[in-house]
Order: sequence, then C-alpha cells, then structure tokens
Amino acid sequence: MNKKDFMNRLSSYLGGISGGDREDVISDFEEHFKEGLAEGRTEEDIADSLGDPKTLANQMKASILVSEAEKTTSAVNITRAVFATLGLGFFNLVFILGPFIAIAAVLISLFATAISITASGITVFLTAIFGPMFPQYFTGLVNPAAAIFGSIGLTCFGILFFVGDIYLAKWLYRLFVRYIKFNLRIITGKE
Amino acid sequence: MNIQFKKGVLELCALTLLAKKNRYGYELVNEISKNISISEGTIYPLLRRLKNDGYVTTYLEESKEGAPRKYYQLTETGKKMEKELREEWLIFVKKVNSFLKGGVKNE
Repeated sequence: MNKKDFMNRLSSYLGGISGGDREDVISDFEEHFKEGLAEGRTEEDIADSLGDPKTLANQMKASILVSEAEKTTSAVNITRAVFATLGLGFFNLVFILGPFIAIAAVLISLFATAISITASGITVFLTAIFGPMFPQYFTGLVNPAAAIFGSIGLTCFGILFFVGDIYLAKWLYRLFVRYIKFNLRIITGKE
Repeated sequence: MNIQFKKGVLELCALTLLAKKNRYGYELVNEISKNISISEGTIYPLLRRLKNDGYVTTYLEESKEGAPRKYYQLTETGKKMEKELREEWLIFVKKVNSFLKGGVKNE
C-alpha cells in the first residue's frame, strides 16, 4: 500500500466526523509520511508500520465522538459515540451497547411514568372542573373539591418526577461517558 | 513482547517522553517503536485522547526542512498524571519482580 492508498482508505473510514477534526487527523498522518520520506523510507514501508488504516480511523473516530459527547450533552452525541466504539471490537457489543440500551430503556420508562402521572393529574383536574357541565357523560363523580386538590397534587408530583428524571439522566450520561472513556483507554492501548 | 503487556504502557511511555521535552508525532512514534513493537499509527489516537483529556496541548513549529511540525507539550495536569502513572508502574514492577525471584515474604 502506498501513501495515496493509505490516505484514501483512512479518509473513507473517517465519515461521520466534522470537517475540522477530519482534516486534523489527515494532516497528522500526512506529516508522518513526510517525516518518514525525509528519513529515506519508502511509502510502502511507512504505511505498513502505521498499521491498518481502517482500525486507525475507527480509533480516531471513537476518540473524537466521545469527546464531543463529553463536551455537549445530547442523546444524538452519546448514540454516535456508542456506535463509534462498536467499530473497535466485538466485545463492545456486550460492554458498551448492552449497558447503553439498558440505561436508555430505564430512562425512557421513567420519563413515560412521569408524563403519564402528570397527564392523569391534568385529566382528573379537567374532569373535576368541566365534568359537572356534562352530567350525561360524567355521573357519580367524587367530591369536586377533593378531585381538584387531589389532581393538583398529582400533577405537581408528576412534574417533580419529571425534573428528577432529568437530573438522573444527566448524572447517568456523565457516568456513562466516563465508562466509555475507560473502555477506550484499554482498547486504544492495544497492539 | 506479549500484547497484553503493551496495553496501557503506551500511555505511560508517551507521557514520559514528553516530560523530558516537547516532541512532534513522528519523533514520539520513533522513540516508542524503537523499544516496543507496535502498529506505529496507534500512537496518534492515543495522542488525540491525551489532548482531548487536557494532558497535552499542541502547537505548530517550522522545521529546518520547511514543513511545519505539530509539537506536543505536557500541561500541568499532564505532568501530574505522568508522575502518578510512573510511580504506580514502578511499585507494580517491583512487586512483580519480587514474586518472580521467589522472595514472597511472610509465608
């Protein structure tokens, strides 16, 4: 493999990362080739000792996307980071994707719980207020005052639950980014 | 050398080399691969990670040959990290060596 092949393969596997970072990675390897050639080595020799461009691109990509997820908290960023680590080895399916799906599922169900508690509070409230206007639909209602206060309590509880979920989600996010970085340290140290 | 041994040691090697002086990528790769056989490219993702984590910073400097080189420099956190890792490593090696010599005490 000569320099051109190496660089082409490298940049083809760097898809999905932003232009600036991509150029940065490419210029690192350009510089490496330049220094090696100046020492009198051949392009083939340099490319061979660098290793597989696909593996290198995957490692670079994982580092870049994980640090992006660390800088900007977002569901998209963390998902991209998780999928980038999958390119590094089979075991990440078990050690990274597995826990990621489990955490996401727990958070989604907690948010769903918070939303449904809030929604039921609002429903009871509206029923208590407007129910008496439509006696043909709502018969045998509980004491309207109890329904109104109860439903306000329920709505507030739902909103608090939601806010709590947000804090929990942020905490788990930071914890998980640290966990991925720990895994990356082991993986990039290999070979 | 056994591949398991190389895991993790690379980071310590890179930090130690940078603790002596600022170096550019090719120089670092050369110094490390002189002693440890690795896929040379592996150093670059490692350097990027060290930079992302704030252990090193980079700057460009013209070389005699003309093309600018990207130099890596340890930050204060990086210097602290290097010291810690090095001490941990030395203690670890000492313990393993004493096992290998059969000098396990209190038995």
